[in-house]
Amino acid sequence: MTSRRGPRRSGDRLRRLLVMLPWLMERGEVPLAEMAARFELSEAELVGDLELAALCGLPPFIDEMIDVFIDEGVVYAGLPRLFTRPLRLTAPEGFALLSSARAAMQLPGADPDGSLARALDKLAAVLGDDGVVVDVPQPEATEELAAAVTDNARLRVRYWSASRDEATEREITPRSIFADRGNWYVIADDGRSGQSRTFRIDRFEQWERTGAIDPPQEGSSVTVPPSGDEWFADGDVPSVVLRLAPQAHWAAERYPLREERQEREERVESAEAGAVVVRMAVASEHWLRTLLLRLGPYAEVLEPAGWHDLAAEAARELLARYDVTDS
Amino acid sequence: MADQLERTTNLLALLLETRVPLTLDDIVNQLSGQYPPGHAAMRGAFERDKGLLRDIGVPIETEVLGGTRAGQTAYRVDRRRYELRDLDLTEDERRALQVAVAAARTTEAEFGMFKLGGVADSSASITANLPQLELLPALREAIAVRAPVAFRYHAAPRELHPYALLLREGFWYVIGHDVGHNGVRTYRVDRIDGAIERGEPAGFERPANFDPRAVFPADPKELGGDDRSAFVRIDHSRATFAVRELGDESVVRRFDDGGVEVEVPCSNLDAFRSWLFGWGLHAEVVAPADVRDDLIRWLRSIASRS
Repeated sequence: MTSRRGPRRSGDRLRRLLVMLPWLMERGEVPLAEMAARFELSEAELVGDLELAALCGLPPFIDEMIDVFIDEGVVYAGLPRLFTRPLRLTAPEGFALLSSARAAMQLPGADPDGSLARALDKLAAVLGDDGVVVDVPQPEATEELAAAVTDNARLRVRYWSASRDEATEREITPRSIFADRGNWYVIADDGRSGQSRTFRIDRFEQWERTGAIDPPQEGSSVTVPPSGDEWFADGDVPSVVLRLAPQAHWAAERYPLREERQEREERVESAEAGAVVVRMAVASEHWLRTLLLRLGPYAEVLEPAGWHDLAAEAARELLARYDVTDS
Repeated sequence: MADQLERTTNLLALLLETRVPLTLDDIVNQLSGQYPPGHAAMRGAFERDKGLLRDIGVPIETEVLGGTRAGQTAYRVDRRRYELRDLDLTEDERRALQVAVAAARTTEAEFGMFKLGGVADSSASITANLPQLELLPALREAIAVRAPVAFRYHAAPRELHPYALLLREGFWYVIGHDVGHNGVRTYRVDRIDGAIERGEPAGFERPANFDPRAVFPADPKELGGDDRSAFVRIDHSRATFAVRELGDESVVRRFDDGGVEVEVPCSNLDAFRSWLFGWGLHAEVVAPADVRDDLIRWLRSIASRS
């Protein structure tokens, strides 16, 4: 969840206060600890905000005051007054709710007529017909992997590793499933490495249950999938510096660039018309070969020197298959 | 002088409860002692409070008065516009929504859920990461009220009647009627330069049953107008995947060694090449000859550079 550092800003505090007050007024009394946990505040922060709220009201500030007080670890609301209903949903809140609900409707196991679909209809009725469409088609194995997550079932799989261009057989216990950038992934305990690994679901060639059931994942430590550029955050991953002509700029938008050199080197406009120089994380040499073939004449490896000829080698290997030589 | 949070909360209560719009002088009189003395400091503090309230989504109405107070601006908050409309969610609907928004893991989704009486839940084991872009909420609202939008894209101004937002392959697209081109166009939202300008609501009608998925082919290899296809041989080691991806109906030949020949759309040659190279050395274009020649030319241009 969101983490806060430093002093809390007035806007954040008021925003939270305006959802806490109506919630509290509806209930009348709530244990302080429960309320603090629910709204993700420390008890001290919550006490501070409620004490401040109790000073607020309408002029002349005698009896038309927000009626809340704390006694023996319990928060009480007296007469409901002033902020009895939450503030309407803002545009970003409305969008976040709608788009994530639409995405969830596409997840394995979603019921098109179930409670989520009904909630979504009610939400859309309040926010206005929205026209938000989320399209995340699922590979064939997704449903069965999702069922294995629920059951803690161990599977025997055949997995093709794109980074090494080889298929391996292994036993995995799926723990969570997520979609990112148009692909589906499963995070699983991997019997081969003895560690938690992320697999792309459309690369499973075969999958079947072994019959073994593993203990559930411990406590509340549900594996949180990486989002956005956390993917390549690992500093051990090698990187490449590429010069990209405009026809190849899509690669800079598609793949995360290395953060630490973003300011200085990355996206430095080159003297050539519209070319950019970027540093990119490289998942594997095989991955880079494929990328360079796709970019064709519009990309050039600047660093490291060892990869200067990688694209040409890859192209020659493929040409050999076409029974023609590079003439 | 009061803490800003205290003063702003009082200001909001006052603007919500007042029957007549209040001028800055009225407000300062009512909240006596809470604003700093001196007109400039007072005005500055009030503007900060007002900005803070607007930032968190409070709809503040303004009007310019006439009569004896002609020219003065007065403020109020319309309670009907301020308050959340009741969604009447049942407990299981709220719970379902809570699980659904868990994936978003954003402050916006968290607050939205708080307002609907739920909590932020982060225990879902099946989730989808949604790219977040600043322009999306405003575009969605424009779609909802049928307001035209204007923005810059690839350095050119565009005017669009937005019909829908589509998330595909990890990118958000806005699809609608492009006024300048007089046709339906698709724009990638993250490539829009700067802000969008929104026109008046009810500025257009969306065609009935508009489905963005139909306008925008799921397979980029089909983009490009004509219905061309290529025949590609896939080796035994990758044949299972190819057939699973393309469907049995795409298989035109099965070889004794386990390989297959498949028919694949190639109207968009860039997308086709990209797809083909994903198979590495395990795929070969068999026909038509011009597609095969194009590929060989492409590879030669790379091979000859070192």
